[in-house]
Amino acid sequence: MSLKIINKSDLMPFVANMMGEYEVIGPVANDIGFKFATLTDASQVRLNYNTTVIPPRKTLLPTQETLFSFQKDMLAPTFDMKWRVLLGVHTCDLHAMCMLDEAFARGQPDTHYMKRRATTTIVSMECLDTCDENSFCKSMNTLTATSGFDLHLIQLGDFYAVDVGTTAGEALLANHAKSHEATRAEIALLDKTMSQKWSKFPVRLHLDGKDLPALMGVSYKSPLWEEVGKRCFGCGSCNIVCPTCYCFDVRDEVSMDGKSGERYRIWDSCQLDEFARIGSGENFRKTHAHRLRHRFMRKGKYIAEAFPGHQGCVGCGRCARACLVDITPVGVWNSLRQDHA
Amino acid sequence: MKPKVAFFDFTSCEGCQLTVVDSLQTHLDLLDVVEIVQFREAMSERGEDYAIAFVEGSITREADEARLKQIREQAALVVALGACAHLGGVNAIKNLAPLDDVRQYVYGDKHKWYETYAARPISAVVKVDAFIPGCPIDREEFIRVVKAVLLGKKPPIPDYPVCVECKLKENNCMFHKGGFCLGPVTRAGCGAICPTYSDGCEGCRGAIPNPNQDAMKDVLKEHGLTVDEVMARMTMFNAFDASQLGK
Ligand code: SF4
Ligand code: SF4
Ligand code: SF4
Ligand code: SF4
Ligand code: SF4
Repeated sequence: MSLKIINKSDLMPFVANMMGEYEVIGPVANDIGFKFATLTDASQVRLNYNTTVIPPRKTLLPTQETLFSFQKDMLAPTFDMKWRVLLGVHTCDLHAMCMLDEAFARGQPDTHYMKRRATTTIVSMECLDTCDENSFCKSMNTLTATSGFDLHLIQLGDFYAVDVGTTAGEALLANHAKSHEATRAEIALLDKTMSQKWSKFPVRLHLDGKDLPALMGVSYKSPLWEEVGKRCFGCGSCNIVCPTCYCFDVRDEVSMDGKSGERYRIWDSCQLDEFARIGSGENFRKTHAHRLRHRFMRKGKYIAEAFPGHQGCVGCGRCARACLVDITPVGVWNSLRQDHA
Repeated sequence: MKPKVAFFDFTSCEGCQLTVVDSLQTHLDLLDVVEIVQFREAMSERGEDYAIAFVEGSITREADEARLKQIREQAALVVALGACAHLGGVNAIKNLAPLDDVRQYVYGDKHKWYETYAARPISAVVKVDAFIPGCPIDREEFIRVVKAVLLGKKPPIPDYPVCVECKLKENNCMFHKGGFCLGPVTRAGCGAICPTYSDGCEGCRGAIPNPNQDAMKDVLKEHGLTVDEVMARMTMFNAFDASQLGK
């Protein structure tokens, strides 16, 4: 839409002003890293964070969320209708959330997700350097974004360029920030910074993300799955930390007398033993190898085919960081690529 | 009529029974739905007409077997309460050394007076219908299991590993903080309480089904534990091995 400028010294007042009207969720420091959390003071926000253990999708799909409560014949849905600003989302995570928007809106829309989405304003952030050695956003074409945000921040020395994506973003900026229209010199600096950033991101994946569906299409029978399956714990960490995973389990919590209770959902993982176990006890993905193949098929092929224009992996590298036995998308895909070179 | 419940203990520290007493403080409504007829730790009455028996402690003497079998005969449901009853627990560490050495170490020259044999979970002696893992048990889980048992449902004990709960809590991994952890092979349900407080999991809830123990050993070694340290950690709560009983 348009390009605005916020001086660096005006950013904290902007955050503080938003906090007066919204729940503002942003990256904050914890023991050795960062996590997205509701700010209680504007100074807590760490916009220069590298990554978080859990992606910001938890704002739209909480790790655990009550769906409804029940009493004998009565059923009351539970909605959390707070107005929120989700601040400091990196573009990899933004691309992932755009995919989730599509997934949850399809068919019978997911009311809980849709309501949270409608009350959430997203202020994303451009990465000007690679977050760490595990990410490969460059190959997945997610290291920048032109849509999906309400506002998008790019830090340029002592000011932020603000790309205005929606009218909601425009209003947020007008009501809460001191900003001005970008000058010609500021636009020139933005262009220069943006064109210089690409070389700072190494190419780690030996193919373009767009070619993954084809690669995965010929890799179903690869011996690699058995090989990596031997190392895998089936611990599910790779799913829980992934911004594009959205499977959940539905459980009931019933009162002691059995007459009332609530139904909630909690994040699930396709790497767990019990994920594909059905009522009869049969498990249709018995081994770690089968489950890993399923996971990489979803990340590289199924999602891209089900939701055209989106990807099942955005190259954030979280699963690689989390995996204690070094099963990584870059490792797996490069190895499959070599087998089919 | 409310089902009658009794609590028993064998070789243990009574910490799990204390946790039960503790959960009764916050869940008084439990007493609306069950009647406790025997609980040495908490009351002096002793009823023998119980239908559900919660058994704490591992079996470490031949003489314990008769009492446990009698409990099994009376109770429609036997529930193992805590790591000692469920796994053998820390008591089973002694199984790793020759029994005579262990007796001499503990009882000195009086060791012949004290009968003992390889520590074992109660499931090595009688059929067990359900278990509540942990050292000690988790009080919320205790309540959940009681509710499930009363509703005739399968107790909701997770089959997945501690890592799931740990990640859901957004903890940074112990291995990334220079620590060690058995989370990838250990049954969840404790809310990953140890890593949440920056202490590695020691496996008190026992292994998940199909644990990848080889990968666990490799990861612990890669991060700097010696072979002996790996074994010490992996056998802290999980030293019991049915093959040791020669059955
Ligand atoms: S690939 Fe790694 S993180 Fe994922 S389940 Fe296997 S061991 Fe766990
Ligand atoms: S598969 Fe791994 S790298 Fe790809 S989006 Fe998920 S966590 Fe990130
Ligand atoms: S993967 Fe790329 S876009 Fe995502 S945080 Fe890292 S550098 Fe930024
Ligand atoms: S700290 Fe332990 S439980 Fe948590 S993710 Fe790491 S290995 Fe798993
Ligand atoms: S984290 Fe491990 S040692 Fe700690 S309570 Fe849970 S299962 Fe037991």
